[in-house]
Amino acid sequence: VVRWVVVRTQQQDFAEFYSNAADECLRTVVVSIGDQDTAQELVDEAFARAWSSWRTVSRHPAPKAWVVRTALNAGISRWRRRRREVSVPDPARAADLPAASGASASQVDPQIMAALMRLPARQREVVALRLILDLDTARTAEVLGIAPGTVMAHMGRAMAALRLDLQPELQQESRS
Amino acid sequence: MNDNELSSMVCESVADIRSSTPVDQIISRGHAVRARRRRVPAAAGALVVAGGAALGVTALAPSGHPAPAAAGKAGSHPAVVRLAAWTVAKQANGEIDVTIRQLQHPAQLQATLRADGLPAHVSFSTRSTDAVCQPYGLPGRVSPKMIFSVASPNDGRDGTIAFITIHPSRLPSGAGLALISEKALLGIGLVHASQQCTG
Repeated sequence: VVRWVVVRTQQQDFAEFYSNAADECLRTVVVSIGDQDTAQELVDEAFARAWSSWRTVSRHPAPKAWVVRTALNAGISRWRRRRREVSVPDPARAADLPAASGASASQVDPQIMAALMRLPARQREVVALRLILDLDTARTAEVLGIAPGTVMAHMGRAMAALRLDLQPELQQESRS
Repeated sequence: MNDNELSSMVCESVADIRSSTPVDQIISRGHAVRARRRRVPAAAGALVVAGGAALGVTALAPSGHPAPAAAGKAGSHPAVVRLAAWTVAKQANGEIDVTIRQLQHPAQLQATLRADGLPAHVSFSTRSTDAVCQPYGLPGRVSPKMIFSVASPNDGRDGTIAFITIHPSRLPSGAGLALISEKALLGIGLVHASQQCTG
């Protein structure tokens, strides 16, 4: 007489979360920083930290946002450590340098990525969290530590800039 | 181009990006992060936490009681024994509440339950008790729920896997309790009490 109970271990929980969230988090960080290889490293590190604190992270209202925020913070820390050793590339040309940017292995649309890279960093983060991670304004504000009104303003400016930047490409495509 | 079209365009531009890191690699890296984090406090409190505390033992009873690892006889450990992996609490009415959070430290759990006077066999590495234990068949009218009940919250809170309430006084003579597990299943059942199986 044995009663079997299906056990859901923390590791299974985490593995399921990782399987559902890894691609989305990676895309969000790629859009935020523009470099897929670095984004992969940062997201891996963030997920490793999530696993090391899984009891806390699993109860977070938006664990994916936690991972992205952790990855972006890790990127800032890394940049601070290396800023005296590495030259900062021109963001406007980031998409023109696939080998250097780590985008060679990806299938990111170079025109759109270039347009995104021309946005200020904060606007890119807002676009990434709102559009790729599908967070609402309040949660985006919380993740970035800014006011909801500021999120809306950044989003509005970013969309206007992207529209202006990408419109000629579209018109050119439709003509050809 | 309206906002929706623009949003779709941005999303589609990165839709083919996939993470290439297997989850096992993330988990082992996470273990390294955890170990790194523990290194400093462990060194600072090395003298204090020596011995049983290395397993995360927190005895909630007054000091002076031996740690569960040393427990082998009835009544020789505190009323509540808490490890990171599980908690055993003996109630005043004799009931034993077991909260399982991680399938770890089976030997300590077995020793704690035996110290509470329960003939117990605990193994978290196999579903089969055949090698050392014989299943105990209850008479038709007797439900195992009269002897133990199991609740599995599965909501991820506190990482709890199962709450088990055991009524040792209702255990038939010659019977013991086995907690066995393999992969994603935890089994709780009755076995014939024997020196080899339940101590």
